[in-house]
Amino acid sequence: MKESRARYHAVLALACIAAAAWLLPYAWMVVTSFKTLPEIVAHPAAPLPEHLDTGAYREVFATLPVARYMGVTIFMAVAIATAQIALALPAGYALAKLRFAGKRFAFGVVLACLLVPAQATFVPIFLLFAKARLVDTMTALVLPFAASALGTFLVRQALASVPDEIVEAARMDGASEWTIIYRILAPMLKPTLVSLFLVSFVFHYNDYFWPLVMTTDDAVRTLPLGVALLREQGTGVRWHIVMAGNVVLSLPVLALFALAQKHLVRAVSARS
Amino acid sequence: MNPRARWHPWGMLAPTLALLAVFFILPIGVAAYESLYSWDLLTPPRYVGTANYRAISAHGELLHIALRTLGYSAIVVTGTMALGLALALLLDRPGRFFAFVRASVFSAYVVSWVAVALLWMWMLDGNAGVAGKLLRAVGAPSVSLLGDPRWALPTLAVVGVWKLTGYSMIVFLAGLQSVPRSLLEAAALDGAGAWARFRHVTMPLLAPTAAFVATTSLVTSFQAFDVVRIMTQGGPARATELFVYAIYEQIFLNLSVGRASALTVVFFVLLLAVAGLQLRVWRSRAGDAR
Amino acid sequence: MIARRDVLRACAASLALASTGCGRRARPERRDGRIVVTFWYAYGDLVRRVLLELVARFNAGQSRVLVEAVHQGDYFECLAKLRTGIAAGAAPTLSHVVCEVVPYLARAGVLEELDGYEGARALPFVTALGQRGAFDGGDDQPLVSIPFNRSTPIAFCNARQLDEAHVEPPRTWDELAHDAGLLTRRAAGGETRWGYEVPIGWWYWVAMVGQAGGRLVEPDGRVTLGGEAGEKAVRFWQRLVHVDRVMRPPPGRDYQAWQSSMESFLEGRIAMLWSSTAFLRYIEDNARFPVVAAPLPRDVRASVPTGGTMFVLLRGAPDEEKQAAWEFVRWMCDAEQTIAWSTRTGYMPVTRPAVERLVERGWYARHPNDRVAYDQLASVDPWPWTTDLLRIERDVVEPRLEDAVLTGRDAHELMDEARDDAARPA
Repeated sequence: MKESRARYHAVLALACIAAAAWLLPYAWMVVTSFKTLPEIVAHPAAPLPEHLDTGAYREVFATLPVARYMGVTIFMAVAIATAQIALALPAGYALAKLRFAGKRFAFGVVLACLLVPAQATFVPIFLLFAKARLVDTMTALVLPFAASALGTFLVRQALASVPDEIVEAARMDGASEWTIIYRILAPMLKPTLVSLFLVSFVFHYNDYFWPLVMTTDDAVRTLPLGVALLREQGTGVRWHIVMAGNVVLSLPVLALFALAQKHLVRAVSARS
Repeated sequence: MNPRARWHPWGMLAPTLALLAVFFILPIGVAAYESLYSWDLLTPPRYVGTANYRAISAHGELLHIALRTLGYSAIVVTGTMALGLALALLLDRPGRFFAFVRASVFSAYVVSWVAVALLWMWMLDGNAGVAGKLLRAVGAPSVSLLGDPRWALPTLAVVGVWKLTGYSMIVFLAGLQSVPRSLLEAAALDGAGAWARFRHVTMPLLAPTAAFVATTSLVTSFQAFDVVRIMTQGGPARATELFVYAIYEQIFLNLSVGRASALTVVFFVLLLAVAGLQLRVWRSRAGDAR
Repeated sequence: MIARRDVLRACAASLALASTGCGRRARPERRDGRIVVTFWYAYGDLVRRVLLELVARFNAGQSRVLVEAVHQGDYFECLAKLRTGIAAGAAPTLSHVVCEVVPYLARAGVLEELDGYEGARALPFVTALGQRGAFDGGDDQPLVSIPFNRSTPIAFCNARQLDEAHVEPPRTWDELAHDAGLLTRRAAGGETRWGYEVPIGWWYWVAMVGQAGGRLVEPDGRVTLGGEAGEKAVRFWQRLVHVDRVMRPPPGRDYQAWQSSMESFLEGRIAMLWSSTAFLRYIEDNARFPVVAAPLPRDVRASVPTGGTMFVLLRGAPDEEKQAAWEFVRWMCDAEQTIAWSTRTGYMPVTRPAVERLVERGWYARHPNDRVAYDQLASVDPWPWTTDLLRIERDVVEPRLEDAVLTGRDAHELMDEARDDAARPA
C-alpha cells in the first residue's frame, strides 16, 4: 500500500497549508506584540516590526499586576485539579469496587452531573454565593469544581480494570481503605491521574467564564480576565499591547503543552 | 467486593455527591424557583408567575436565541468534524513533520479562548485587520465581518472551528488506530482504490467515533460564551446573542434575575435533550466496545 | 502520585485564602493607620493615566486616607460589577456610574445620601452637569451623585478634508446629509472614505430625539421614546446608510463601535465623526490633520444629552470609609483638580470656579474646540428621573437601533415594539 510520489507531495503540501493555517495566527500575534502604535496605525499589515520593540510588554506589566494574576490563576487551577483527584479516588473506588445498596443510583447521579455544564448553573450558584457572601473569593472559584463528575467517572472506569485481588491482598495485609486508595491504587492509576490533572489544570487556567461571573474586583482576578480587560479601554484599541498580553497568557500553557503533549492528547482521546 | 463497614461506600462518595448535589442539582431547582419572581438583586423580589417566560418569548426572542445557538453549533460541529476527519486522515503518518503539524493544529484547543478571541478580533479588525486586507486583495467585497449582522455569527463559528478542530482531529486519530491495517491491506489487494477503502472500510469503523465527536462538540458549542463576550457582546443587532450570553446579559447587565432564571431553565431543558442524545450514543458505543 | 500531606496542605491554603475575602465590609479597612477607600473606575489609556496620577497625588498629599483605584473595564462592565458587588456584599466604597442608572440605584436605596456631608449642598457645580441640572427634578431628590467625568456628544471634523471639499461643519440635519455626500469618496479598491460616522447607540439617538423635538418620557411619566421624533431619528440614520450611502455604521457594539469609529477618523477614513467631548484631547493628540470640533447640528431645535459619569458612595460601606471617600470626592471637585482633569482629557470642567479660572487663563481662547463643548452646554436636555431608564436604554432601545440601522427594518414598527417592551415591568 505504497503512496505514489505525486500523492505524497500533495499530502505534504496540504499538511503545510494546515500548519500555516494554525501557526500563522500565532506568528501574527507575536509580530504585532513587538510593534509600536504608530507602526500599527501606519502599516497594520506589515509582516515584520521595524525593530523588536518591547514597549508593549512593558505596558502590559505596568497596567496589570501580571505576577499576582498569574499566581491566583495557577493557585486556582492547581487547587481545583488536586481536589478533583483527591475526591474522585475514593468515590471512584466505591463505585468500581464496593457492593452496596444504592450504587446504581449514586452512579446515575454522577453520570447526570456529567451532562450539566457550569453555564447552566451559574445564575443560581451566583445567587447562593452572593447570599453566603462568598462572591469574589477563592472559594467561589474552586469549590464548585472540587468534585468532578468526569474525574469520578474516569477513575471508576480505570479502577474497574484493576483486579480485585490486589485490594483483597492489601486488606489481608491489614491496610486501611485510605491506604489502599491513596497509597496502592493511586500509583497504579498514575497515567489516568496525570492526564486528569493536566486537563483540569489547563481548562481552569484558561477559564474565562467562571472567574468573570464570580469575581467583582481584583482581589482574586485571574489572568484571562486581566488580559481581556486590556482591550476594554474605551479609547482606541492598542492591539500591540493586547497581543503582548495574549503572548503572556498563552506562553505557559503552550510550554506545558510542549512538555506534556502526550498526556494531554491521551486525556482528550481517552474520553472517547 | 463487600465494604469493610456499611458506611464506607457512602462515606467515600459523600464529598463528591454532596458537592455535585449543591453545585449541579440544587441550582436547577433554584433557577426554576427564581424564574417565577421578578427580582433585580437590590430590591425585594415579587412573585410574577409565568410573566418571565412570557417576556422572554415575546417578539420571538427566545426562539431567535435558540435558533442562533443551533446555527452556531451546526457550523461548528460540521466544520470541526469535516476538517478534523480530513486532517486526521492527512496527518496519520509517521515522521516528525506530521507530528509537528498535528501538534500545531491541536495547540489551538489548548490555548485560552480569551487569547484566541482577541487574536481573531485583531485579524478581523475592520480598519487594520489582515483578514480584511487579504479578502480585498483577492477581490472580495469589503464587508466588516464582525459588524454585519449577516456575517457576524458565521464568523464567530469559523473562529470556533479553528479553535476546536484540533479536538476532533485527535479523537479521529485515536479512532483510526482501531482500524486494522490488515483489513486495509486486504482491501488494497482486492483492488480497492483509496476512496473505496475509505468508504467501505475506514468510514464504517469510524462511525462510532464520529458520533462521539458530534455529540461532544454539540454540547461544547452549545455552551459558547467567551467568544461572544469578547468579540461581539451579542451584537450587531443581537445577531450573535447565543444562549449563555443572553443569560449573562439578563442577570449581570440587566439585573433581571427572573428572566435570567427562566432562560436558564429553558437552556437546561435543551441541554437535557442534547444530553439524552449523547447518552444514547455513548451507550451504543460502550456496547460496541464490549 | 499525590501525597496525602500535599492534598491537606493545598486544602488548608485555599481555605486560608478564601477566608480573607469574607466579611470585609464589617469594619473599615486600614493600612498603616490610613483608612482605605476602594474606588472602582472604568476606562483606560489616557483617561486612566490622568486619573491614577490624581489619585496618587491625593494619597501623597495627606496621611489619613488611602484611595485604592481598581480598574473595571468600560462603563457598563464597571456598572455590572458594581451592581453584582452590591448584591453580593462585595461593593467598594466609591465608584462612578453613568447618569442613566442613578435614579434606579437611588430608588434601590444603595447610594449614600450626601446632603449631610460637609459642604455637599454648597459645591458650585455648573448647573447642567450636577445632579440638580442633569435630571428633570434632580433637585427634589436627595443628593446621591457628584459630577465626575461629564461630557456631551460633539462633532469632530477633519479640517483638511472639509477644506478640500469647501464644506463648513454642518449646522442642520439637512446640511449634514448634504455635506456628508460631498465628503464621501468611493475608491475602486472597495476602500471608501465616509462623509460621516456615528456609533449606532442610545446616546446619539437621544441627542437626535431632542433635536427632532421629542422627549423620552412625557411629563406625566409615559415612556414615549420621543414618539414621532424617535422614529424620525432612526429614519435619518437609515437614509444616510442605505439611501445616501454616506455613513458607515461602525462595527461592534457599545464602546467597540466608539473605538473603531475613532480609529477610522484618526486614519482619515471618516470626514465627520460624532463622539464624546471626552476624547477631545486624545483625538487632537493623535490626529495627523487639524481637527475642528463643532456642536451637533439641529433639526427643529438644538439638543444634546449629557454623558459620562457621576461619583457615588455606596451606602453599605462603613461610615469612616464613606467619610474618607467624601474627602477624596471633595478634593477632586477643587478647581485645581477639576482643571487638571478636564484640560488633560476633554471632559467638562464641572465647577464654576474652575471654568472662571480657565477663562481667566485664556484657555478657551487658545483651545476653541474646548470652547465649543462648553458652549454646547446651553442646549443640554436633562435626563428624566426614571428608575427604568437604564433598562430602557440597554434592553429596549439600543438593540433595536442596531436592528433598524443595520437591517433596515421599519422604524415605526420597531419603536412601537420598543414602547411596548418599555411598558412591560422588568
